Amino acid sequence: MAAPVNGHLHRRTLLQFLAAAIAASPLGRLRLFAQTPPITDAQTVTLKAIAEVVLPNAVSREDRDRIVTAFVAWVRDYKEGADMGHGYGSSTLRQASGASPAARYPAQFAALDDAAKAAGAASFVAMPLDARRAAIEAALNGPQPVNRLPAQPTGQSLIADFMGFYFTSSDAWDLAYQAQIGRDRCRTLDGSDQAPEPLGRSF
Amino acid sequence: MARYEADVVIIGGGITAAMVAEKLFELRPNWSLIVVEAGKRLFDFENRFEYRQRSLDYGENQWPGDFVADQAARGVVSRTMAVGGSALHWGGVCNRFSEEDTRLKSLYGLAADWPIEWKELERFYCEAERRLGVSGEQSPLPEDWRSEPYPMPAMTMSYNLKQLKSWAEHSGIKFWTTPQAKNTVEGYGGRGRCRRCNTCEICPTGARYSPDWTFKQLLAAKKLQLHDQTLVRKLVLDERTPRIASAQAVREDGADNNVEYRARTFVLASGYCWSPHLLLLSASSRFPNGLANSSDHVGRYMTGHLAYQTTIDLDLKIFPGMNDQHSLISREFFRCRPDRSYVRHDLRVWENAGGRGPQLRDAEGKLLLGDALMADWRKRTTRGTARVRGYFDVHPDRDSRLTLDTAAKNRWGDSLPVIQHRIDAASQARQAATREHLQGVFTQLAKAGDGRMGNVGALNYQDHPAGGCRMGSDPATSVVNTFGRTHDHENLFVVGSPTLPTGGCTNGTLTFVALALRSVEEIAK
Repeated sequence: MAAPVNGHLHRRTLLQFLAAAIAASPLGRLRLFAQTPPITDAQTVTLKAIAEVVLPNAVSREDRDRIVTAFVAWVRDYKEGADMGHGYGSSTLRQASGASPAARYPAQFAALDDAAKAAGAASFVAMPLDARRAAIEAALNGPQPVNRLPAQPTGQSLIADFMGFYFTSSDAWDLAYQAQIGRDRCRTLDGSDQAPEPLGRSF
Repeated sequence: MARYEADVVIIGGGITAAMVAEKLFELRPNWSLIVVEAGKRLFDFENRFEYRQRSLDYGENQWPGDFVADQAARGVVSRTMAVGGSALHWGGVCNRFSEEDTRLKSLYGLAADWPIEWKELERFYCEAERRLGVSGEQSPLPEDWRSEPYPMPAMTMSYNLKQLKSWAEHSGIKFWTTPQAKNTVEGYGGRGRCRRCNTCEICPTGARYSPDWTFKQLLAAKKLQLHDQTLVRKLVLDERTPRIASAQAVREDGADNNVEYRARTFVLASGYCWSPHLLLLSASSRFPNGLANSSDHVGRYMTGHLAYQTTIDLDLKIFPGMNDQHSLISREFFRCRPDRSYVRHDLRVWENAGGRGPQLRDAEGKLLLGDALMADWRKRTTRGTARVRGYFDVHPDRDSRLTLDTAAKNRWGDSLPVIQHRIDAASQARQAATREHLQGVFTQLAKAGDGRMGNVGALNYQDHPAGGCRMGSDPATSVVNTFGRTHDHENLFVVGSPTLPTGGCTNGTLTFVALALRSVEEIAK
């Protein structure tokens, strides 16, 4: 094995060694997960600034923060190389999960700040709401416009991924229908013959 | 080399094997029994909420590792290979076939009659429902008589289904709820009550029957040995008789490439794909076309059913997600008068979220954010959508086949199976009329609610596949007799889906489990 020439290479070499060792071991199927760096605190603040624009006003500030926290956790807990199973009646296995979509986020966070600086603001977070909205619209209407909300993050657009994360959630469906359906929750059968209770809270 | 001996060796660890093992030990508690399964045992019930959640959040496999990487086939074949088999993932639907399915030849001059009387089969339907734990609602049609009530009351009809039933019955067609192997009472079979998790593919509460549950109970009571990760590659004949002497197997983890099982009786319960596959793989100089195949019928008459489906947009307030795997069924079209053009099908209705979800852009392509997006979305929530599907009866051609694919081999050098479904000439000839009929039924339903029908789509594969070792009275045209005993080898049984001569027009699990339970009474003699 070549001698490490600096700390970075040393770390990388160590990771490569660990990857090879784990892959060769009986625990190899566990694979190495989460090579993508987590969303930083500063990026989390940016996400909150995005959330204020793209989520409905009926979602309270506390709930917005919870949604951002859940999105950050989604990124943190993403597993590369996970078993994605097989479709119904399909004779082929789905490809294992690829690199985390979040690997493409740092550049997009940076682009939002760059756009803010070009507009004379210190950062995206420092911009007023209308300016943030304009920046978000510009990002989604850009040269490669985003037309659909992804059911799961894809990495193509940080903003669309975040929006899809919320708007495809059980909570968002409840808000849209103004009813406590609780699609993704395990619930009792009792009372299911009645229309779901109306929403009694903001989200 | 490991060598094991038992009174009965069951090859395969799916729902049929679970039912056979359970009943066999009730009838013959002193017999020794080994179940051999190529896949793993996934018994970590305590992790199922986590698996469910990761499936929802990341799309990961709800049953991680439920396959054997190089044990694959071409054609309509589920990759699930684990203790529990495809029934780990199933939705639990437990429809019965109808008497017509067993008398196609004598009533309509089509396909083949089954070598069993309906009254006899009905008795085992009741037993299958008890063992699986089926909750259901009695059909209002007299032809759907039953000798016992369902073991559990029907699943609560959700608000959505009540709305949909009210609409659908305006069409003049009667609907009721679909029977399911899901607990509607606490504790049936030692399992919990359904909690409407909407993820029946992995039921985190155990309310939906899953064969791993039976195996765990049998193992806990020390009633059998379960050898998982053990692939049976060949059945070997006795040197002087046509009896099966042994099953040759390998450990999937490489721990032993030479495992032998000896038994008085062998029961092949490996499903419609891997059962005929093993018989073909077991060819020898005395049986060059494979075992149980003197009729050249192993791997033939591979069957199933096709479907047409559509969505209907309705002026109904539906709340998608209340219990979206529960459905309505009508069995009115299970019967066809012999003097009419032949068409038989089931008819199912589900709540549906199609077209009701959030959109990033409005109809003009304008970007929507926040309240604007929500306002646009809410406009779509004022109406509802029904998903409607009819499985219809088609019959297999003799050359609807499973064969060995000499170009594809597993790591042990065994040829893998390829399945090519082919419907018979009569089924082909009536396809246009069947489509016209089902389109008419869908239109009738849509009109009843002033609904707008979407495109009618055809299923492009045969669902609920079966066949490949069909049962019959004549050894020249079938592989097994009415009890699943092979005509060629008196100590070899094939049970479950491979034995079905035809695939009916609704989900087949309850039917092949019922047939397998009937087989056990013969196996136990």
